[in-house]
Amino acid sequence: MSIALSRSRALAFSLPALIAILPFLGACFYIFRFSISGDKGTIDGYSIQPYLDLMTPFFGRSVWLTLKLAFVATLVAMLLAVPLAFLLTSLRSPLARRCLTVTILLPLILNLLVQAYGWILLLGPSGVLNSSLRSLGIIDRPIFLLFNETGVLLGLIQTSLPLAVFPIVSSVRGLSQEHLEAASSLGASQWRTFFDVTVPLLRPGLFGAASIVFAFNASAFAIPLLLGGRRVQMMGVAIRDMISPLFNWSGAAAAGMILIFITLIVLLFSSWLVRMTSENVRH
Amino acid sequence: MSTQNTHLHIDGVSKNFGDVKALSNIDLKIERGSFVCLLGPSGCGKTTLLRIIAGFESASSGRLLLDGSDIAQVPPHKRGFGMVFQSLALFPHMSVARNIAYGLKLRGVSGKEQRDRVEELLNVIQLPSIADRPVSALSGGQRQRVAIARALAIQPKLFLLDEPLSALDAKLRDNMQIELRQLQQKFGVTTILVTHDQHEAMMLADELVVLKDGAVRQSAAPSVVYQQPADSFVADFLGAANLINVGSVQGGQVQLLGKLTAVDTAHADNTMMQAAVRAEHISLAPVAQAGGAAVGTIEFMRDLGPSTEIVVAVDGESLRVRSPNVDCQGLSIGTQVAVSVDPSQVSVFKA
Repeated sequence: MSIALSRSRALAFSLPALIAILPFLGACFYIFRFSISGDKGTIDGYSIQPYLDLMTPFFGRSVWLTLKLAFVATLVAMLLAVPLAFLLTSLRSPLARRCLTVTILLPLILNLLVQAYGWILLLGPSGVLNSSLRSLGIIDRPIFLLFNETGVLLGLIQTSLPLAVFPIVSSVRGLSQEHLEAASSLGASQWRTFFDVTVPLLRPGLFGAASIVFAFNASAFAIPLLLGGRRVQMMGVAIRDMISPLFNWSGAAAAGMILIFITLIVLLFSSWLVRMTSENVRH
Repeated sequence: MSTQNTHLHIDGVSKNFGDVKALSNIDLKIERGSFVCLLGPSGCGKTTLLRIIAGFESASSGRLLLDGSDIAQVPPHKRGFGMVFQSLALFPHMSVARNIAYGLKLRGVSGKEQRDRVEELLNVIQLPSIADRPVSALSGGQRQRVAIARALAIQPKLFLLDEPLSALDAKLRDNMQIELRQLQQKFGVTTILVTHDQHEAMMLADELVVLKDGAVRQSAAPSVVYQQPADSFVADFLGAANLINVGSVQGGQVQLLGKLTAVDTAHADNTMMQAAVRAEHISLAPVAQAGGAAVGTIEFMRDLGPSTEIVVAVDGESLRVRSPNVDCQGLSIGTQVAVSVDPSQVSVFKA
């Protein structure tokens, strides 16, 4: 009775959010409808031609590049985030904890444009790094770290890091010291405890964080545009190019649908992986 | 207590956390195969002492001698002590069998031997059919038993328990205490259990160590600690004792309820003393039979079934008396009674 009541109350309070989500669902449906339109510029009739038109080596490379960069950036962001999460939870001083939290959060607070120009100032052909290396006589010609895949990768890792850290922090907080001590009392060294107890207990949190980061990176648009300089055609950039110079609305919609579909598959796969690995318990 | 039978010697162990002295100069000899309870209120240092023994904390000074050799530098995972934690700390991502077998797996025991040992232990804890269940599907009592089995699986040199029964309800706790004691005797493993529950400690221990403010107040068999508490704290902590101010020592004696009672010669004259007498060791008699004993007035009576609880006001003190129902005929609130104690059941100590 009281549960039913609180659920209906929860529903009532969720109503504004649900209403806010509706236009988004509408947009998704609109994109889907456009992607099967018979005309490139307007919704008119039905055709799968937009999808067939995407079966080109160019678009295939774009899909592959998106998956590759999103995957590598997610992996690196996770590897960087795990020690940061442990550091953040181990800090005793509230001031130190707050300073580190704000530092990690900064990429979420700062405008992407500002961050991208920051990278350009640092790593661009006449940026801080190149000019100091040149004045030290270590290099003759600038190293090209930007306007290629490396640049995009750096940008993706940097912008998605906070999305990785905070979910991991909350699962690290949930780790009980007694579990680790229990493993130790049974004879497990520190590394053994880490792999046998810490990692499995963190696994759901790690996969959750990785899923968020992957979805964020796969749909990235500003970073590949600004740091890839058009040469790195991740799907976000490719979709924009279909719209803006080419006015191929239905093609862009179809590419968007494919991006959503791929991201969903990856997310489902990761949650399936979590379930499989925890089901291992019952071996 | 012969020295060659000492399994663990805690030799002058102290522990400071910053300026806070958690343990000061603990000296204990724990006999092989004995069941020792560290008993005390929260913050007395009992858990810290257990964690030092387990190796999760290091002593600020003093030595830990296991069979005569110092183990201070041995990390916890090489000590081979089985430990049951307050939260039990069963691994939620492993089945019951894998929890119990984990310590064996780390020791490189073969798969078949692991399975045999798990089966044997599950039989011992009377849960033969739960091997493949996830830990989350167990009841509180079952988890308890699995945690004990996991710690015993490695055939530990010492079996350490940190308030393992505190999360169970009273009835289950009683049963588990009996089971735990039986298991300990079956395995013959030297056991140290931390608790703040004096009933639990009395029930389980061969040797009771009462701690307060990081120091041992008394260490003896439970019956000795109960009958002859070393000081007023121990008497009070073990419950249901009357603490009576008996004035100062005069000629090696104090005045207890109208009678002169000899005290330990270690106490000089004029030392202020207190006496502890348990409720069941005070007897009441009609005033006519007082014969020099103190006379008091009954303030309160309650029939508790097998016995009656009576509060008697005597010499400005309220004494709790517990006496069998048959002795309480004719007594009621306001009745004057003669109050006497059996001198052999009285502990007298410095106030």
